[in-house]
Amino acid sequence: MLKNKAFVRKTKRGTVIKVVKEHYLRDDIYCEVATCTKCPSSLNAVTTPSTTKLVPSPHHIVPDTNVLYHQIDVLEHAAFTDVIILQTVLQELKHRSNAVYARARTMISDPKRRFIVFCNEHHRDTYVERRADESPNDRNDRAIRTAVAWYNMHLDGKPQAVLITDDADNRRKAEVDKIPAYSTQQYVASMQGHPDLVDMIAAVEDSNIAAEERFAYPEHLSNSQIAAGIRSGAFFQGKLSISQNNYLEGSVFAQVDKEERTVMIIGRKDLNRGIHGDIVALQMLPESQWKRPVGVILEEEQIEGQKDEDEEEKAEESKMDVENGAANETVPTAKIVGIIKRNWRPFCGTIEKASVSSAASGLTSQQSVFFWAMDKKIPKIRIRTRQAENLVGRRIIVAIDGWVRNSLFPSGHFVRTLGEVGDRATETEVVLLEHDVPFAPFSSSVLSFLPAEGEDWIVQPEHLAGRIDFRHLDVCSIDPPGCTDIDDALHCRQLPNGNLEVGVHIADVSHFVKPENAMDMEARRRGTTVYLVNKRIDMLPSLLGTNLCSLRSNVDRLAFSCIWEMKPDATVVNVKYTKSVIRSKASLTYDEAQMRLDDSKLNDPVTQGIKALNQLAKKLRANRMEAGALTLASPEVRFKLEEDQQDPVDVELKELKDTNALVEEFMLLANIWVAKKVYEAFPESSMLRRHPKPPAANFESLQKAVGELGITLDVTTSRALADSLNNATTTDPYINKLIRILTTRCMMQAVYFCSGTVPESDFWHYGLATNIYTHFTSPIRRYSDLVVHRLLSVAIGYEKAYTSDLVSKEKLSELSDVLNYRHRMAQQASRSSVELFTNMFFKEKLLQEDAYVIRVLKNGFSVLIPRYGIEGYVYASLNDSKDSSEPSPFVYDGEKNRLIAGTVEIKLFAKCSVCVFVEEAGGAARRSKLVVRLCEPWVPGVSVRLDDIRVAREQDQLEEKSGKVVKKAKRV
Amino acid sequence: MDQDDIEMEIDGEDSLDIHVVTPGEVVTRDSAFMRGHGTYTEDETLVASLAGVVDRVNKLISIKPLRTRYNGEIGDVVVGRITEVAQKRWKVDMNARQDGVLLLSSVNLPGGVQRRKNESDELQMRTFFAEGDMLSAEVQAFFQDGAASLHTRSIKYGKLRNGSLVTVPSALIKRTKSHFVTLPCGVDVILGLNGYIWVAKHVPISPEQANQPDALYHNDNEPIADQEREIIARVSNTILALAKHNNFINDTMIVYAYEAGSSHRVKDILKPDISQEIVQTARAQFQEAQQH
Amino acid sequence: MAARLEIVSPEGLRVDGRRPAEVRRVLTRTGVLSQADGSAYIEQGNTKCLAAVYGPREPVKRAGVLHDRATINVEYNVSSFSSGERRAKLRRDRKLLEIGLMIKQTFETVVATTSFPRSEIDIYLQILQTDGGAVHTAINAATLALIDAGIPMTDYVCACSAGFVNDQAILDLNFLEESADVPTLTVALLPKSGKISMLGLESRLHIDKLEPVIALASDGCMQMKDTLDEAIRISTRNLAKTVLH
Repeated sequence: MLKNKAFVRKTKRGTVIKVVKEHYLRDDIYCEVATCTKCPSSLNAVTTPSTTKLVPSPHHIVPDTNVLYHQIDVLEHAAFTDVIILQTVLQELKHRSNAVYARARTMISDPKRRFIVFCNEHHRDTYVERRADESPNDRNDRAIRTAVAWYNMHLDGKPQAVLITDDADNRRKAEVDKIPAYSTQQYVASMQGHPDLVDMIAAVEDSNIAAEERFAYPEHLSNSQIAAGIRSGAFFQGKLSISQNNYLEGSVFAQVDKEERTVMIIGRKDLNRGIHGDIVALQMLPESQWKRPVGVILEEEQIEGQKDEDEEEKAEESKMDVENGAANETVPTAKIVGIIKRNWRPFCGTIEKASVSSAASGLTSQQSVFFWAMDKKIPKIRIRTRQAENLVGRRIIVAIDGWVRNSLFPSGHFVRTLGEVGDRATETEVVLLEHDVPFAPFSSSVLSFLPAEGEDWIVQPEHLAGRIDFRHLDVCSIDPPGCTDIDDALHCRQLPNGNLEVGVHIADVSHFVKPENAMDMEARRRGTTVYLVNKRIDMLPSLLGTNLCSLRSNVDRLAFSCIWEMKPDATVVNVKYTKSVIRSKASLTYDEAQMRLDDSKLNDPVTQGIKALNQLAKKLRANRMEAGALTLASPEVRFKLEEDQQDPVDVELKELKDTNALVEEFMLLANIWVAKKVYEAFPESSMLRRHPKPPAANFESLQKAVGELGITLDVTTSRALADSLNNATTTDPYINKLIRILTTRCMMQAVYFCSGTVPESDFWHYGLATNIYTHFTSPIRRYSDLVVHRLLSVAIGYEKAYTSDLVSKEKLSELSDVLNYRHRMAQQASRSSVELFTNMFFKEKLLQEDAYVIRVLKNGFSVLIPRYGIEGYVYASLNDSKDSSEPSPFVYDGEKNRLIAGTVEIKLFAKCSVCVFVEEAGGAARRSKLVVRLCEPWVPGVSVRLDDIRVAREQDQLEEKSGKVVKKAKRV
Repeated sequence: MDQDDIEMEIDGEDSLDIHVVTPGEVVTRDSAFMRGHGTYTEDETLVASLAGVVDRVNKLISIKPLRTRYNGEIGDVVVGRITEVAQKRWKVDMNARQDGVLLLSSVNLPGGVQRRKNESDELQMRTFFAEGDMLSAEVQAFFQDGAASLHTRSIKYGKLRNGSLVTVPSALIKRTKSHFVTLPCGVDVILGLNGYIWVAKHVPISPEQANQPDALYHNDNEPIADQEREIIARVSNTILALAKHNNFINDTMIVYAYEAGSSHRVKDILKPDISQEIVQTARAQFQEAQQH
Repeated sequence: MAARLEIVSPEGLRVDGRRPAEVRRVLTRTGVLSQADGSAYIEQGNTKCLAAVYGPREPVKRAGVLHDRATINVEYNVSSFSSGERRAKLRRDRKLLEIGLMIKQTFETVVATTSFPRSEIDIYLQILQTDGGAVHTAINAATLALIDAGIPMTDYVCACSAGFVNDQAILDLNFLEESADVPTLTVALLPKSGKISMLGLESRLHIDKLEPVIALASDGCMQMKDTLDEAIRISTRNLAKTVLH
């Protein structure tokens, strides 16, 4: 049967066109209910109807679109099985949110859940045509009711189909048609055995908050008003990013008056319920109302919730007023007039202890509590829960449901508990979640693409087709100790003509991971392997990563090789790229390789190779330095973990040996040469990596600061910068490293890009001083390398068949953006993990250490502690600026960027002594916090003595203990 | 299709003895048959290359298409139009795959049937037939490339006047004893087998007139009265109505249809419902006459 | 991934409700134009095409005359009102000329041109409405019109398109599917021998996938052949009733 769907659509250009689409109605769509005798049986049918107090007869529930959209958290609970999802609902859902749609699809594809999809739109009995006076929404509601009614007629109520809808009008209409219909609240409340589910119900039509009429945000404009405003130029749009330091200060980088600029949004009212990441519509404020960004670090935690919200508000405002009063320089400021697209995600965090009223104990009653997200950019969220007391002190996930005008804070609902605050596993999971790192175990569909032989996979003769057999060569790999995913191996041998043959062999991951299969999709989604201190989140299943692809010694492995013929002075005579088979003779650690290098007596072929490589590497390095490559530094440390990967027992600074440099040098060489080859073959669609030259403005403050030390930094070219860094020496050798660290922070981020999207002149890699670069050498842990492998294998004619996606400019540039994002997130996650472990390390410790000032602000300064590579913020007044009654002894000299207290001057690079300890996570604390206090130079009112703190802490502990005793006594 | 002989299919509806084939369909695997028009042989089988009806004459099998361009046969009476005057010949549009050729030597010239053609005749060819002139002729022979050679060497062929041309698909014209018909209503009809039909006022020609030099090739119409004009138009439209309903055309059919449509106004004859009614009535009448 | 349109839903239905290997509804009529020697009108879904065939006839232009066979001219045209948005027509659109040439070459292999030396066969194809698969619809229309014109052909030419998406091949793509970046292969095939006379692919398709896509498209062509053949049989039978008796 055929229906033509005709509708009128407006195009982008504003012309109205009529669209006619065919719509086939079928009679071969079945109900997929196991007990049905009329329809052919289906493999994935609903089998087990549920019963509840409310609906005692066996039934299947049919949620409507709003229920699926808002209550997805509830429906994801394992308590819901055998649910019928209608096609109408899925289509509407997809239209509303792709993310929720994807979650619904995941549920549907889980065979344990037995969710079925009924294609009611194409069923000849359940298709409904929109009536003339009907809105599309009403038509869809009617379609849903029709489908439910059809089920009940088809199955004769055995089992029943029950409509779940939160729309009262829809329920009323269903009643008229004699369709059983209930709200989510009604239904869930009547489910047996899952009291926790009620907490998870999103407060969509929650009217309780309306009581707070005291505060109201300005109304958001409607979509059409926003669209009109943007067209007329009155408004502009952009993605809101909230300051890391102050959640009431946001900025938007947007096109304003045909000019790209950053615009600030300051204060609660002007932010008008915008949340970090939202796409918002803004209106510029008149210049008279422009404000000055607050140059302080505002830690919300310090304003504990004991105060009334109103007061809190005043306190904040007054603080801002003070800042504004001192304003001498304003920035363009705007206010948010509407939200174009919300970008809410579930947040990890904790319940604000103070907001839990212990009086109302008893598990069944619900209460409103506040939730703090780990992410400082997110305001606190009001949730309603019955288990408030249980949740205190735990990390939980909360999703935002909405933010009504007259509520100071957004409201949300509880999703799930992660675990105890401070627990290592919980906090690690938080780190992963907060950085959007996919860390679920690989699904069975992904694993199905692994070689069937599993661990027994070996190189077969048929694999040799098109490959060169290098198994006779003395190839070896050099990696950090404990490395299991060996990406690269090297060899070097003398050629008869006096030249040297150098080979870099990279694991041939593309042989195992074919484009577009589930494993490839998953790897692409992950983008990179994420290294945490105690954990590694692999991009590829470990069978590949640590076994089949890993170039382990004394087994045959497939590789992608890059072979150069070099003169002894390291100039390349010839280059060849080929797929190959190798058999590594030795897997060395850096130390082992170093020992071989240093031992002049050793003369076996592998050692000879390493020695020759080292000679070449030194020359290559010299050449690179000549070209202006930078040697930058990071204060990174490595934790020594206890044997069972538990608590960190010590930290050590990462050390660089000759062999590190050796491997690095050849990896760079391989990357550069591969980049050249790939770019030559695919000028429009190569995946390359570039590192833009940082604008000179980035260096201004650093240049000023080092100027005081009598050092000049020339930043005109990377060569000049490298030279001036080399010349930047003072009496303190650490200063040079410090300058390098700070220089690194002035740099831009290196990014992946698609060659067709950037002019060739911008391919420049600033840090490495090369005009083209890519990533080729770590395909096990980076997806970009895998892409480059595929491109190269096409370029050398090994792979003859390839899809258009591989060489599509749009696809690649899309992919580059994703990979850049994943890389950034992975880096941040690693950093957070290090921070986490630093805190754990300092737990129970109280240390005094040397530190260097690296940043000076108005209310304090940042210091770097080289021993541990950590950074901390020292407040300029002892009481963390909480109590403003006690003025800071420091006076801020904005001109010279320093803090002065009497004879003491705190300026950049000043050396001082600080004490470090961990402040335990309090009620609202996001995370236990590292506290840094000044010890020397001595400034009264700011500096502390180590012993004083120790004594104070012991006292605190005593008090706490006695307090507990008292409490216990009371209970008794 | 796996029937491999030409057993006639029995059509359930009206039990017509027709065997319809479509291109690519095997007509027979029996190598005893000879292939005719609309067939080709492939791997010893006879395959149809047209959609149409199988026509079997002894051992010769051909496919008769029901809509096609005119495919002439020697002796066919055709009506054509001069498209070009060339060296010693005229080109004639006759609804075939190529224009027909009328050689100067194949026409009767004024002044005696057996007169020799001379150079002056060649120079004044255009005075006999000019571009656009209509004529009736007979297919005399075929050239190598398939073009038809026509002749008008008979008193009944020659230039056409006093009427109008009606074009119908050539397959509709039935081969009959005479293609020159004078209808009872007093109108001459020349049923060209090529699908061109000339409908004209009846003008009797006396033998002495025929020998007058001007009589054969002059371009002037006789005076035609309004009533005569109407009848010509009525006959034309009647023929068109028959063609519209894919009905075969011969003198009897035209007469029956003419009578069936006599109560309608001329311009109404081609209206869909009326034309259908006329054709149906005529068909019924024709079939009745056949049975008698 | 998810942001893209779901061409085939996990339930196995396409956007318009068909299953992957189903063709759209087909409607045909022959002999629709009285002036032409043969004509046909065909609808495949919402793609509509009108075909007119003239000839074999005396060539209009002497230049193209071949002495041993007939020349075939194909004019393929897309009406400016055929798509949702009215397009200004380019007089000599290269794309249209190319498609015309492609169709011409397809038919030169089956039409018995050698039977008609020094003549020409003109095929005019007019797309009245487009909803994907205009080329294969036009080829099917041309086949019908040629048969209607009584021009001898060794076989039908049946065409159909198939695409490849989400690891499966889909048949007879509509406009929505074609424009969703699905590689679309158009196949014209001689059903009697199973020989492929035209293969058109304008986007990249992995070579491993080519075979299943061709197989599915060929299957679609066979389905088309049945539909066209039935239409021709009915019209021939109807003609025979009135023309012969």
